[in-house]
Amino acid sequence: MAAPGRCPECGSEALVEDSHYAQQQLVCAACGCVLAEGLLTTTYTDEEHLREVAYSQSTGQREQQSRCLQRGIRRVQDLCKVLQLPTVFEETAVSYFRRALQHPSFHLVSLEKKELLGGCCVFVTCRQHNWPLTMGTICSLLYAKQELFASVYLSLQKELGLCVPALSLADLVNTHLSSFRLFQHASDVPAWFMEDKEKLVARTMQIVELASETWLVTGRHPVPIVTAAAFLSWQSLQPAARLTCTFARFCKLAGVDLPPPAHLRLKELLEILLRMASQLAWLRVFSLDKKTVVKHIGDLLQHRIFLLKNAFCLEDGEEQRDAAPAEGSPGSAPAAEAAARAEGCPSEGKRQREGGPRPLLPPCLINPRKRLRTAAPSASDSAITGDEPISDSEIEEYLRGPEEIRAFRKAKAWV
Amino acid sequence: SSFKDDISTSPQLFTPMSPYDAYLPIQTAEDVLLGSQFNQPKELSTDFSSVDLSFLPDITQDNKEQNPPEDGHEMQKEPDGDGSIPRNEDSGIFMDESSLSYPDGTQPSPEASGVCPPLTPMTPMTPVTPASESSGIVPQLQNIVSTVNLACKLDLKNIALHARNAEYNPKRFAAVIMRIREPRTTALIFSSGKMVCTGAKSEEQSRLAARKYARVVQKLGFPAKFLDFKIQNMVGSCDVRFPIRLEGLVLTHQQFSSYEPELFPGLIYRMVKPRIVLLIFVSGKVVLTGAKERSEIYEAFENIYPILKGFKKAS
Repeated sequence: MAAPGRCPECGSEALVEDSHYAQQQLVCAACGCVLAEGLLTTTYTDEEHLREVAYSQSTGQREQQSRCLQRGIRRVQDLCKVLQLPTVFEETAVSYFRRALQHPSFHLVSLEKKELLGGCCVFVTCRQHNWPLTMGTICSLLYAKQELFASVYLSLQKELGLCVPALSLADLVNTHLSSFRLFQHASDVPAWFMEDKEKLVARTMQIVELASETWLVTGRHPVPIVTAAAFLSWQSLQPAARLTCTFARFCKLAGVDLPPPAHLRLKELLEILLRMASQLAWLRVFSLDKKTVVKHIGDLLQHRIFLLKNAFCLEDGEEQRDAAPAEGSPGSAPAAEAAARAEGCPSEGKRQREGGPRPLLPPCLINPRKRLRTAAPSASDSAITGDEPISDSEIEEYLRGPEEIRAFRKAKAWV
Repeated sequence: SSFKDDISTSPQLFTPMSPYDAYLPIQTAEDVLLGSQFNQPKELSTDFSSVDLSFLPDITQDNKEQNPPEDGHEMQKEPDGDGSIPRNEDSGIFMDESSLSYPDGTQPSPEASGVCPPLTPMTPMTPVTPASESSGIVPQLQNIVSTVNLACKLDLKNIALHARNAEYNPKRFAAVIMRIREPRTTALIFSSGKMVCTGAKSEEQSRLAARKYARVVQKLGFPAKFLDFKIQNMVGSCDVRFPIRLEGLVLTHQQFSSYEPELFPGLIYRMVKPRIVLLIFVSGKVVLTGAKERSEIYEAFENIYPILKGFKKAS
């Protein structure tokens, strides 16, 4: 906003900045011609200090938005700042939020939901850029109930037609492990607890990959798996000192939550490792249990491809499942078939024999929970046309008699 | 007959020959004109589950093949005038079968089922594919949700008082929850006269159950009718018998799939044609929902099976 040096009318150089009432004016002292009124950019004096003034602050744009939208956008921006996300994420998240709020299904929802909507937009943006942010983190930041967050997230995904790529486990391992207090020396953390971050991350990644190959990850919450894998890899890096430390104590010292499913994931991981160990020639002499196998995790991971192939019958498992009849309770039928097979292949994964391989299947198929078997529709059922006569006697069974009504009325009066 | 006595004591005015037992869809004139043979396949497609070839012409069908009639509401008046119908208070009056050839429904004879229109040339239906092409697995229906309009205002307190199988907590929910044993179902009955029936395992069972509920309401003294019976949702399930890599499936079918293990262990697949939502689990179990007709469930499963099979070998 350079003021011209000369008056265009008279050519004089005597230019004065004067205020006409409240308005700044640049006036020629000689002829009185007004050269400029007000500042060309903003009324903020910050402009003189060359600080960029946002468009939203200098125009009436802010007043055009509803207060709800403004508040929501501010919330989204705050979230991005707290999570230390790149600025491009902030813009994307805000644009999603605007779009969502205009959508009829979100326009009139409760304020609580609108706040969650902001969190969902941030979450979606992170996922789309493969930034490993979990729902748990967002929920804790928003003090939100996970079920409510889930429903808002799913409807957002549906209404805006967003494509959200799956959570990358590798990135999650990195971020999750960064929150563990294992890498810097602190007063309350003993020396044997410390670990080198890169080594730990690398080994945890390998264990998580192993879990993924052996069906422990599909359909399960990712964080407990990473926590269990971190514990195992931490133990295996210095087994002598660390075998006595329990999972719970480890998490407490590391300053990390121990999610309830993590114990089960740990058990499953150990079972897989034990099976693999049974195929490693120099380990067969030891009778390993779930404590001692930890010492050999390094070796097991190194040879995991070979060990997995031998410890689990992949092809056989699938073939026999094909042959199984396609009816009845599916979980137990193939397991029964497996038991009937020769070569002492254990039917259930529970028995950890070093015998033959077991099929590589998700745990829900290895240990099927006893479920109420829904009977296949019987012949008489399928003969129903919907137009059968309805007998009065049958209907009258459902009606109360007069004495019963009196008794019921009396009873209700007491309630 | 007690049936008539109950009706006559009710204060509301309505035709004593309550055509409740006869199925009375509100049909558009268009439907009636087109004749039932076009609508017929919809119901008959239910028979494909058992690979029943009796839909071919020249094979006699007995009554059980016939489904709700397509004729219009003229039927309502039939019981009054037509003396040929066996008047038995225990009988459901079969008004349907005749509608096949007589769109205006002048012959309400239960035995008129022999007239079966040729179906195959008429409408495109989900074909029964030979086993070598199809999966060989048939989804089993688990739940049917249907609605019907009883077309009269109901006193819910009264119903809850007089019916054994009813519960009514107005503070919790503004409807009576009624249950019957056979077919094992639950109904939500609203004071407007609308009713929702859930829990049946087939369309016919749902209709039979809905009729029974309506009959209970009728016996309680309300002039209940049976209008606009409609299947709103059908849920089926089956098992492909091999584990599925859901992470892989969500990558290759991103535009249809939603897999959030943090939220739900299964993958939610929104199929476009037919418009069905499938829940696919790592164990290989598949749940299909959102269907208005049985054929949609079968078609959706036949569509998803080759996709899932593609992930079997990859594991």
